[in-house]
Amino acid sequence: MTVAFSRSARAAGSLALALIASACGESSTAAGGESEIISRVTLTITSPSGAVQTVYIDDADGNGPTAPSAQVGTLSLARGVSYTGSVKFENRLVNPIVDITTEVRAEKDEHRVFYAATPTGVTVTTTDVDTQNRPLGTTFTKAVATTAATGSGTVGVLLCHYDSVAKVGTATSCAGETDINVTFAATITN
Amino acid sequence: MLVALLVAPLGGLVPGNGVLGAQSSPHGAERHLHGIVEDSLSGRPLEGAEIVVEVAPPTAATAARVFRKRSDGNGRFDFLDLPAAIVTVRVRAIGYVPDARRLDLTAGDRLITVHLTTATNTLQEIAVRADTLAERLGRVMATSTLNAAALSETRGQTLGETIKNLPGVALIQFGPSIAKPVIRGLNSQRVLVMNAGMKQEDQQWGTEHAPNIDSFDASSVTVVRGAATVLYGADAIGGVVRVDQAQVPDTGRMHGDVAINMFSNSRQGALSIGAEGGRLRLPFVGTTGYRVRLTSRVAGNGAAPDYYLSNTGFRELNGSATVGMKRSWGTADVRLSRFGTELGVLRQAHVGNADDLQRAMTTAPTDSAFSYDIGRPNQRVEHTTLRVRTTLALPNEHSVEVVYGLQYNHRREYDNHGPLRFRNEPAFNLKLFSNSLDVRWTHPRWNGLRGTVGTSALVQGNQTLGKAFLIPGYDLWQTALYAQEEMVFGRFSVNGGLRGDVISQTTLAYADLGIRSAVGTRSWKNGSGSLGVAYVLADGLDVSVRAARAWRPPTVNERYAQGVHHGTAQYELGDATLNAERSMGLETTLRFRRSSIHVDAAAYSNTIAGFIYLQPTQPVLTIRGAFPGYNYRQTDARLQGLELSSSWTPARHLEITTNGTLVRGTDRTNGGPLFDMPADRMTVAARITGSRAHLGSWFFGAGSQMVRRQDGVPAGTVYTLPTAGYALMQLEAGSTGMVIGSHHVDVSLSVNNALNTRYRDYLSRYRLFVNDAGRDVVARLTMPF
Repeated sequence: MTVAFSRSARAAGSLALALIASACGESSTAAGGESEIISRVTLTITSPSGAVQTVYIDDADGNGPTAPSAQVGTLSLARGVSYTGSVKFENRLVNPIVDITTEVRAEKDEHRVFYAATPTGVTVTTTDVDTQNRPLGTTFTKAVATTAATGSGTVGVLLCHYDSVAKVGTATSCAGETDINVTFAATITN
Repeated sequence: MLVALLVAPLGGLVPGNGVLGAQSSPHGAERHLHGIVEDSLSGRPLEGAEIVVEVAPPTAATAARVFRKRSDGNGRFDFLDLPAAIVTVRVRAIGYVPDARRLDLTAGDRLITVHLTTATNTLQEIAVRADTLAERLGRVMATSTLNAAALSETRGQTLGETIKNLPGVALIQFGPSIAKPVIRGLNSQRVLVMNAGMKQEDQQWGTEHAPNIDSFDASSVTVVRGAATVLYGADAIGGVVRVDQAQVPDTGRMHGDVAINMFSNSRQGALSIGAEGGRLRLPFVGTTGYRVRLTSRVAGNGAAPDYYLSNTGFRELNGSATVGMKRSWGTADVRLSRFGTELGVLRQAHVGNADDLQRAMTTAPTDSAFSYDIGRPNQRVEHTTLRVRTTLALPNEHSVEVVYGLQYNHRREYDNHGPLRFRNEPAFNLKLFSNSLDVRWTHPRWNGLRGTVGTSALVQGNQTLGKAFLIPGYDLWQTALYAQEEMVFGRFSVNGGLRGDVISQTTLAYADLGIRSAVGTRSWKNGSGSLGVAYVLADGLDVSVRAARAWRPPTVNERYAQGVHHGTAQYELGDATLNAERSMGLETTLRFRRSSIHVDAAAYSNTIAGFIYLQPTQPVLTIRGAFPGYNYRQTDARLQGLELSSSWTPARHLEITTNGTLVRGTDRTNGGPLFDMPADRMTVAARITGSRAHLGSWFFGAGSQMVRRQDGVPAGTVYTLPTAGYALMQLEAGSTGMVIGSHHVDVSLSVNNALNTRYRDYLSRYRLFVNDAGRDVVARLTMPF
């Protein structure tokens, strides 16, 4: 008992010193609070003729309380045309910029991008798959039917993260956790 | 849950020569003698003191008549059948100098207070009761204490679970592993938890931050209801949960106990081994007493009646060691303890945005797999404390107590998923260092006035090291000066206290874009005060009235919170300009004691100006989607309530206990209810006891906890909260001192939620997603050695 005690007493003493030393005004914050922040979502759409349109939405504080900024660029979609496209997620709040799309692809079995387009007649079909042949959605085709109404339309992008919920290939909506949910504006022309 | 309840023991009744007014005795020739036995130095009531009343014989030839009693747990005794004569009263207790006095009972009944002085034995050791704070408390406030025997019946559970059936107490729970005490409707930064004589500093502002305390390492737990800021400081605006350990023994060989608990619901096993003794010889110090304890608890997923609560297991490993000595100058001890836990957070409760939340709420859980594994999200917390305490016995019954405490709390919270680059780094990583120094001087009776004057200082530093922002790093300085005094006038006992605090908070900037945490220092200076009067109405019937003013500064999270609270997908925004809360409370207590009936009742009304709460505002839109927005705001609130506890012994082997609690919280600016107020609740239990030679002191009991519907839900609450009432049934059977072979063991078997009732408590934080836990069969075995 004696031996055991004196050993723990010594431990107590050194612990006390360590704690006192660190407790005296040494409080500081980490160099950079880097959480999984996505600050920009970019859509790139290519027409069969090779014309490229790029639009993006920024959220300068990521998950912060300030709302995302307005969309930069315009999307003009012609009726009767089938486009190919891709989505890009980036954290531009850090230097160098981190391309989160790479992470999404690296963990393709745990992610899926859902698209929701209006008006009726605009369909987005994902073209890439994960290791189990379930849709991934970082690339897609976008077909605009000849019957689609002209005027304004939208393209919703939702990045879904499957952690505790199984990813089901036939699902039409996110059953996991939403990492991204933004909506782009588009114009449907003749 | 049958527990001994001691509510507001009234202190000194009437000094030795006090006669009960001019009132003549209504009992004819029979006289009553009531009294209380106390330690002269600390004022602590002495249990088990022997009181012998000798009535002088009318003639020398006849024998003297002798009456004997022992004082109860509050130091009280009552003789109801004494003759109207001059009697001699002798009071003896182990370790104290016997007291003898003559009393004249011819004129009427008498009420006496006997102060026993500690005996000085041959080793010149003086027994000095350390921790004068505990003594001063019981006399002024609505207080409930669970002693070691009552605690042993709930061992193995969280600290919150052990006190949840006390009057005025409710719990905010995150499944089986996290339980936060709510006292009179207030919790977290408004309820101070005191462990081993030190204010527990473990990021207590978070409702999902349970007190980091080993429930096995407690010899008593006391709940103080209502503002106790004079003695405890600003955090005690709502109440105090006090966890105490007995003094280390100063004599005797090593002995101890091994406790094993098993819980069927989460397949939890708990093992705790403790040992103590008084004959440890240390170089340079001499003979010291010691106590050590090691506890481990391991649990898997909890189970609701229809499914498992995924990822709600926990693992805990705790240890403590204390050495202490008692000498002629007083006592000194050193205590080192460490608490470590890793616990899971319900998977469904972690959502990405408001749509996910909606889906999680409307999808029925189906988890059918039990597992001990703890996945993401989870928490890992280590709490290490060092306490150095000494009590000096000065001449003329002065005593000084000095307590230095060092606490290091390391909290890491892991998110469901993170960027690949830092997947194994915690989202939140907080290191909290706290140094505290308390000096208390207790002075002897001076013109009838007795009390404690103290000063308290705290220096605290918080480091925020995680990937994500929760609260900024900060430094906190706090100093206080206080005095609590007590005086007795006839049937009145008056108790008052004053305290002044200076608190300074310096926050540090967080190095991330978009995070609104600025460098800045704010200081608050304010005072607390309380005044209470207790009055003895009749034999065994006391009433008291108490007014208290209290305050607390806003905490760092209330000022700087910024982010999503995952369980509710609430986007919470702090307000750095918040001002202090100021509370003014009035309460009255009633205590009735008859041999077969004990009743304690309390009523209170408490207004809090600048009450800090989360107000629903505009939805917050982020790139992840929309979140319901909540801002920290201040309003004027009123909390009112009633508490009742009683025990009735209709027959020798039967005891029936009842507890009831009512709380009403009102926003005075609009008359609406406050959020998160506990629903009305009541517990009724019956217990049959007896004893047999080999069976020991056995008991069998059944009880029910009934919770009424919560109909006070504020407008603007975004979600439909479960407000329905429920009733749970509990069964228990066991024995203390059962003889197995040559050993005496304590065994018990109890069943919580015996009918496997499906329910969701209004305060359960998983209420939006899953039911609370179902039936739980608990086996407990304690073997002393």
